[in-house]
Amino acid sequence: MNQRIRHLTVALIALFGILFVQLTNWQVLQRDTLVADARNNRITVREFDKMRGAIVTADGTVIAATEPIDPALRPNSRFDFQRVYPTQDLYANISGYYTLGFGSTQLERTHNDVLAGTTAQQQLESTGGLFSKEDLSGTVQLTLNNDIQKAAKRALGDREGSVVVMDPITGAVLAMYSNPTFDPNDVVAQTGSVGQTLTALQDDPRKPLLANAYQERYMPGSTFKIVTTTAGLETGTIDLMSVFKNSRSWTPPNTKKPIRNYGKKVCGGDLAEVFRRSCNIPFAQTAVNVGPVAMVDAATRFGFDAKVPFDLPGAAASTFGGTAEDFTDSLALLAIHGFGQGQVQITPLHMAMITSSVANAGVMMKPFVVQQTLTHNRNVIRRTNPEAWKTAMSATTAATMTQLMMGVAQSGTAACCLQLNGGISVAAKTGTAQLNAEGEKQRSHAWITAFAPAQAPRYAISVFIKGVNDAVSASTGGRLAGPVAKQVLDVALALPPSK
Amino acid sequence: MQQQPQALQPPFDNTLSRARRSVELGLVLLAGIITASAYVLASLGERASMPARIVPFMVFVLSLLVVTHVVVRFVARGADPLLLPTAALLHGLGYVMIARLSDHWAGLQATWSLVGVAAFALTLFFIERPSDLQNYQYTSLALGLGLLLLPMVPGIGFTSGGARIWVSIGPINFQPGEFAKILLAIFFASYLGQHRMQIARGDKKIFGYTLPALEHLAPILLAWAVSVVVMVGEKDLGSSLLFFTLFVVMLWIATERTSFLVVGVGLFAGGAFIAYKLFAHVQTRVDIWLNPWDQYTGRGYQPIQGLFALANGGMGGTGLGLGDPAAIPAAHNDFIFAALGEELGLLGTTAVLAAFVLLVGAGMRTALRAQSDFDKLLATGLTTIVAVQTFIIIGGVLRVVPLTGVTLPFMSYGGSSLVSNYVLLAILVRISDTTARGLHEVPDEASLSERFAAWRTRKTDAKADAS
Repeated sequence: MNQRIRHLTVALIALFGILFVQLTNWQVLQRDTLVADARNNRITVREFDKMRGAIVTADGTVIAATEPIDPALRPNSRFDFQRVYPTQDLYANISGYYTLGFGSTQLERTHNDVLAGTTAQQQLESTGGLFSKEDLSGTVQLTLNNDIQKAAKRALGDREGSVVVMDPITGAVLAMYSNPTFDPNDVVAQTGSVGQTLTALQDDPRKPLLANAYQERYMPGSTFKIVTTTAGLETGTIDLMSVFKNSRSWTPPNTKKPIRNYGKKVCGGDLAEVFRRSCNIPFAQTAVNVGPVAMVDAATRFGFDAKVPFDLPGAAASTFGGTAEDFTDSLALLAIHGFGQGQVQITPLHMAMITSSVANAGVMMKPFVVQQTLTHNRNVIRRTNPEAWKTAMSATTAATMTQLMMGVAQSGTAACCLQLNGGISVAAKTGTAQLNAEGEKQRSHAWITAFAPAQAPRYAISVFIKGVNDAVSASTGGRLAGPVAKQVLDVALALPPSK
Repeated sequence: MQQQPQALQPPFDNTLSRARRSVELGLVLLAGIITASAYVLASLGERASMPARIVPFMVFVLSLLVVTHVVVRFVARGADPLLLPTAALLHGLGYVMIARLSDHWAGLQATWSLVGVAAFALTLFFIERPSDLQNYQYTSLALGLGLLLLPMVPGIGFTSGGARIWVSIGPINFQPGEFAKILLAIFFASYLGQHRMQIARGDKKIFGYTLPALEHLAPILLAWAVSVVVMVGEKDLGSSLLFFTLFVVMLWIATERTSFLVVGVGLFAGGAFIAYKLFAHVQTRVDIWLNPWDQYTGRGYQPIQGLFALANGGMGGTGLGLGDPAAIPAAHNDFIFAALGEELGLLGTTAVLAAFVLLVGAGMRTALRAQSDFDKLLATGLTTIVAVQTFIIIGGVLRVVPLTGVTLPFMSYGGSSLVSNYVLLAILVRISDTTARGLHEVPDEASLSERFAAWRTRKTDAKADAS
């Protein structure tokens, strides 16, 4: 038997030889192919499954953080850490999300190095040794204020639209809420359905993944009259003494189609009156009188058709809807654009910036949401210094515009709905952007933009309510958006002034 | 002086047994040191800190190892010194990987380790001579078949992972097949040991080929047929293959007739083909084996994750605690070899393969040296079980053969597997010890039960003298 047992032993050892050959094949010969395979996410997982810093608001509210997974609660978890968004959908369009295999967005993407702890400064502050797993993750601190942000969400309710609140002097964004939105916790869950959740969000016709506050643009309606009036004042085409005759309709040059006022009303008077009543014809006439070149020039100085220098990715640019040549060919188009109809489109963020420039003596600041980034030792990596972007108008014009806008709030289209607590003075402009062609069913966006206190501005705000249903379309910017702005400004003005 | 038993007469030479046990103690301690170091490294890699329970862990590991060694030293002092340390090393490395994957499984596996070592000691205490087992030839057959059939019994048997191989009695779940393989090996060894000449010689000549009489072959064919049918019925392909190989190999070794081997391989090929045609679950297994990439999101996910893990490890491995083996489904069980491959690399997996080759080598050396046919056949059978089971599961992970769910001996998570493998190891240790006594390499002292019998006799005699 021994002979056979020896043969058997040799055969069995030969089997192990086969295993060794195949092992070498997988672990050495085919290694690179397997490691490079798109389905092999081991390296991604190693990068993903680490401690990651928090994103906090100016008042210290945590909007994104990473928590270690308790092995007692999830004994078979493949991961050690879980990203959480304690404020759920409140800041979704600012923080973005951080997923495994489906990428990351917004601050989670742009500030990945700080959050992961990989900037040079963070690495230099490391004191670790060979086996160290020192947590180097940094913190991103925002300019946003949680009280104002919550007020914005509450005031907007379930209506589609957005609220943007800025410090007009620095450009710091203090609140920016968009509805519809989403809960980033749904897409960072580690339970397989992330892809489906994201696809559903992407396919949603209401576009919850896009912040309508800064990633989409809309027809501004009468709020654009701030730009037209500024252009008229700066070019000397109009002044406070200008009087516009009462009229029901006016037909601009090169067309037979007449322009009418909102609600087909008869409207006229001096500049202050037509501005606060928001007549259309005077501004159509002003735009035509200012002329195509000077109007496009004014729009450019307000930042239209330019990339907005914002520190969140994917910010849309507003557009004046044509070049000087286009408007020279069609003064009728220019007339319509003069009161914010036609092809003019603007982001709600940009609307707040325009108002801010009035409040800031004509200087438009670069908007920003990141106040500063910090290392794990709380040392500053980078602090955002306020910077001017555009000079939209002279200080004198800005003062005149402030006066005109205060009239809107005191006795104009916003008088109904923007009386702030404590009688704090406010300057505003409303807008009701008509989306329907003449004769069709009324459909309109509601806008209001304002700053307060009018004489010593702390806040500039823009409220946009999308014209998705009859309830919105049947009303006006003042009546719909006005109360939202009042609620948010009341909360903001009750806060102690920041240093 | 004349009444002194023969075995205790000089020369009372314990040199060789002492040498063997010293080697064993050294190697066992080495296995313990490797296990503890791996445990510390895994914790440092995973959490950058020393394991919280390092002291209790080391005490536990060392006491298990020392206890097993002491048991061998007392009741099997002539045994091969390589068997126990090799198994301990594999057990330790497997445990470290399980603990690194999940505290939950680690806690249970620690308990099973304790039971396994107890089973090892009890087996050595109860089986004092391997030939004792021959007395239980048909008991082994009946018990083995009974255990195999147990999962088919409604109420206690249940299906998990596609195979109905589990039995649940009260709070305890176990796989009776793990123990059945040892019992059937005992039956085969015993039956073939007695009848091998008759079977080999044959009685009838058909077309110039001598066939053994049916009555000689019948019991063994029956045992084989029932086990294979049960295995196919329980959808446990891996065990089915294991039993078939065990049967053919033992028949071949016992009869020394190569034609049996050829016929066996032929039967296997035919059986495999028929099973493939008849059973959907066999087709599925083969399909996953041949085209895992086409079904990555389905059944191919596990084998491909296994390959990704191996590739991620490469030559040197990621280091213990630094890989991502939890990405492989059932990494603590069927795929523990891939998990080890990720963190220890080709160097580590080769070491593990080498340890298995050493274990198989030590088992086969035991078979070669054994003095009786039964001992030889049993040692060969048991070693073949370890070797083939290892090949089936590692080969499945490496896509050498279709993947079938069997455990990796001593390494995979699982109580039935660990305990049965320790029983198997104890029998091999016993056979090698008995051989050493038979060859007068170590003194053939009286066993515990013999001493007890002698004590009883002396007492009775004393009483008789007194009366």
